[in-house]
Amino acid sequence: MNRPSPARLEVMIGEVLRFGTMASSALFAIGLVMVLAGYQSRLAQALLQAALIILLATPATRVIVSIIEYFRERDWMFVVLTLVVLAALAGSVVASHL
Amino acid sequence: MATAPPALYRLESLRLAPNSPAALVPVSGWRVRAITPHGRSDCAHFFCTLVPLNPTLALTIFGAGAVAGALGVALGLGGGIFLVPFLTLALGFPLKSAAAISLSTVIATSSSVSARRAGNQLINLRFGMTLEVATTAGSLLGGITAQLVAESTLERLFGVVAVAVAFVMLGRINRRNVMVDPTVDTGRLGGRFHEAESGGVVAYRIKRLPLALFASFIAGNVSSLLGIGGGIIKVPVLNAWCGMPLRAAAATSALMIGVTATGGAIIYYGHGDLRPLLAAPAVLGVQAGSWAGTHIAENASVKWLKLLMSALLLVVSVLMFVRSLR
Repeated sequence: MNRPSPARLEVMIGEVLRFGTMASSALFAIGLVMVLAGYQSRLAQALLQAALIILLATPATRVIVSIIEYFRERDWMFVVLTLVVLAALAGSVVASHL
Repeated sequence: MATAPPALYRLESLRLAPNSPAALVPVSGWRVRAITPHGRSDCAHFFCTLVPLNPTLALTIFGAGAVAGALGVALGLGGGIFLVPFLTLALGFPLKSAAAISLSTVIATSSSVSARRAGNQLINLRFGMTLEVATTAGSLLGGITAQLVAESTLERLFGVVAVAVAFVMLGRINRRNVMVDPTVDTGRLGGRFHEAESGGVVAYRIKRLPLALFASFIAGNVSSLLGIGGGIIKVPVLNAWCGMPLRAAAATSALMIGVTATGGAIIYYGHGDLRPLLAAPAVLGVQAGSWAGTHIAENASVKWLKLLMSALLLVVSVLMFVRSLR
């Protein structure tokens, strides 16, 4: 069983994670500095909220990218496995409202 | 009067616990739910005099995150196992709130570390994705359980896990990467990577998949319940029994814990235990700490550090048990 273009998926995942980390850290930093400087504004709250959402969305995006890539490679076994992982995350979203 | 209060307050006057940190969740109108170290209680704004997150507290959380992050890198575990007890024992946060904050730092560490490693084939994506099925199922279950069990139960569980981590760390004090025959047939889940130190190619085949899945499920479960990454449970199992070289096991686990922690963090977030304003200094601290850790820690005295931290974890364990008895 040869492994079709493992590097491609690895590189794409790396990009997703890098962007997610940088974006959320930057927003966390700006929001926190604003709050500490005394701006208890709606904007500061929104930035912090957005930072947290991006942080949580980054691994989920990584899973979605994997699903697409395995689909493209017609690797059905791994399409199913990664879909199950995504379903478990969706389950968490459902459970968070219970 | 339905404005959402900012994330963290120090309660000045609430019959329950004056002067303790509390996360407030708006319920309806001007009623809020205060989540304090002593549990949840509803209170009206009228009865609470509130002081928002101050720079000292933010700096303390940032510093704790930085130390935990640096230790995590030096010891090869996530910083959560140190951050959670600091937030609960030193700052008096409820364990759920500490676990939620810690999970957000776990996600950040996983993402940044894996982004740096991606491309050098250390991360075994296929095996990781396979095990993620078990870790996310475990974390979903753990996240739901955390909402149902008492704070004291979680504290006792943390005590038990801290002891286990201490002993695993002591038991692996002289562990090194093992060179494996590069010509081995790696199978469908195995992997192959270039090792910089020896200049050779390391190839490995995965053994005992059911055991790996079971360990991952437990790791995911504990991760959600206690706010730690869970690598300390998976990595020794993958390395000792499933044929995975230490480096590859650590890299793959580091990628997996991001998704695992996300499952738990989403549940805490939905229940109001994960406040962005508290996560911010912790995440930034851990990022700074792990960045510094990779640039400072050159294996110099990791052995002594491991001994010291094992001792510290035993103390943490005792303190958690004492706290659970209140």
